[in-house]
Amino acid sequence: MTAIAWDETPEVTDRRHRAPLSRLVLAEVRWIFRRPRTLVVLALLAIFPPIIGISIVLAGPGEASGEAPLFVAAATSALSIPLGSFMMLMSLFLPLAVAMAGADAIAGEQSVGALRGWLVAPVSRGRLLAVKVFGVLAVALVAAGLVALTGLTTGLILNGMDGIITLSGTTLGFADALGRIGLAVAWVTLQLLAVGAVALAISTTTEHPMLVVALVLGGLIVSQVLSVFDSLSWLHPFLLPEGWVAAMPQLMRDPVSLDLLGEGALRAACYVVIGLSLAYARIVTRDG
Amino acid sequence: MTRDELARTVPAPATAGAGARPVVARTKGVRKVYRSTIAVDGVDLEVPEGAVVGMLGPNGSGKTTTIRMLLGLVRPTEGEVELFGQPMPESAESTLPHVGALVEGPGFHPFLSGRDNLLRFAAAEPLLPSAKITAAVTNALELVGLTAAADRRYRGYSLGMKQRLGLAAALLVPRKLVVLDEPTNGLDPAGTREVRRIIAELHARGTTVLVSSHLLSEVEATCTHVIVLSKGIVVAQGELSELLEAGNPTLEVVTPDATQAVEALRANRIPARLAPDGILVDLVTTPAPRVIETLVQAGVSVYEARRKRTGLEDLFARLTETQSDDLPTDLHLNDVDHVGVA
Repeated sequence: MTAIAWDETPEVTDRRHRAPLSRLVLAEVRWIFRRPRTLVVLALLAIFPPIIGISIVLAGPGEASGEAPLFVAAATSALSIPLGSFMMLMSLFLPLAVAMAGADAIAGEQSVGALRGWLVAPVSRGRLLAVKVFGVLAVALVAAGLVALTGLTTGLILNGMDGIITLSGTTLGFADALGRIGLAVAWVTLQLLAVGAVALAISTTTEHPMLVVALVLGGLIVSQVLSVFDSLSWLHPFLLPEGWVAAMPQLMRDPVSLDLLGEGALRAACYVVIGLSLAYARIVTRDG
Repeated sequence: MTRDELARTVPAPATAGAGARPVVARTKGVRKVYRSTIAVDGVDLEVPEGAVVGMLGPNGSGKTTTIRMLLGLVRPTEGEVELFGQPMPESAESTLPHVGALVEGPGFHPFLSGRDNLLRFAAAEPLLPSAKITAAVTNALELVGLTAAADRRYRGYSLGMKQRLGLAAALLVPRKLVVLDEPTNGLDPAGTREVRRIIAELHARGTTVLVSSHLLSEVEATCTHVIVLSKGIVVAQGELSELLEAGNPTLEVVTPDATQAVEALRANRIPARLAPDGILVDLVTTPAPRVIETLVQAGVSVYEARRKRTGLEDLFARLTETQSDDLPTDLHLNDVDHVGVA
């Protein structure tokens, strides 16, 4: 133990002091990507595309069949594996990753009492939410980026760069395929941000992170079930997961059809705005 | 003694009078209601600049809620809160950078080391330039004696180490006011002494300290001022020395000639009574030197005479335990569950 080694104590005035936003964002991102559960989920997401690729190769039709190699090559191309992985992971695993991030961001911090530390620093409620949104966005982007990266790598190892075959039967150049994957990553990130915005809204109302994850995933499952019933077709445009499965194959066609993607992006943007508005309304009045 | 009597005998410090010390923190008629629970009910308190103010009260008396309102974490249901003369929570960005706080126990992330937890907190300190963050964290860790354990995960810290880390977070930057809520919880005697030493050092530097506790000895040993809360109301506040003497001042005289002494004093119209090893003299009307003089003139051998001070413990017990007798209107508060507002 030593004595207090402070510089001069500055005088109090009515001037407002704020820590630089970039410093807060950096601290938040560091915290998120050092959290063991974030790393576990990201690792599981990253190994999913290679597993899919290898499974398709192993389960593919026997070599006796003449068309089989072509089918396997199409299904395991550098375009198909990332997009196919997105299709499968969007139903649960990718939303789970952002729901956890949103849950930990506020409810999780509150549950260990660490949110108070920033609030009395002070970090204003609005800036706190902005930093948390950025953190959730970072998780969404890294999760989508990782799946795309390992998917692309798997496809390249299995089939090489040339002759990437689309669902329409045409072949694509590598640059074109990369562009499509980039578009897919951006679109998936936006969808995940919508999930994250809802998770953040719930996160501001509780200090139980598990409750947030359960409600978000429960909501997604219910939405997916509801979207099956034709009698509820009036409701379908409002359901976030509507089009999650159908959108990815659009990017595997030639030419690309952007209708479904655009509609999905608009829907996600609405969810982001509504979710973040609710989160802001709650976080500014909440007892810290 | 009732609350009203105390309020009369102990003037609140630094009221608007001339020459009064400036007030660092103030609440006016602050009330906080959680659903049906009244956590704090009409609290007026003042923390004078440079003082070490002990906030005393049993569990559930509203200490932590009051502190949370002072720090702008909680908005009062009614009443006003001021820090450095500026309204809270509206002025949080101009006042709180100068305030270090340890509230409701330490809150840190178990998977990060003590140092990384502090770095995360330091990033949010507005008065800390980015270039000085690492050094400030190292200094704070050293100050609370956590240097050796700094790079271990918080998960493995003992209760005392967690408490020290919370204290380190409150002392990251030079502060005008340091608010410590139950700072010695979980600390061993050596750790408690260290906290007292830090409080004394802060006091010597002119930093105002507000420390809440239910440990009376801790407050008696470190504080200049005391605020006593019970069931959500302030039952006494003022300088510690004044509060302790606010009971009837009494002189305790040790003498073998007790009966003779009492007779001599009564003859001079000085109230006195017998005590186990001498007599007790009421000092309300007579100063102590006059009592001694009277006794000596009467030929009573005085071995020892001392001012009998009310212990903080007596005072506290009187203020917080007998309250329902004095204040029948507060009885309904007993029916309310105060759990969770301490």
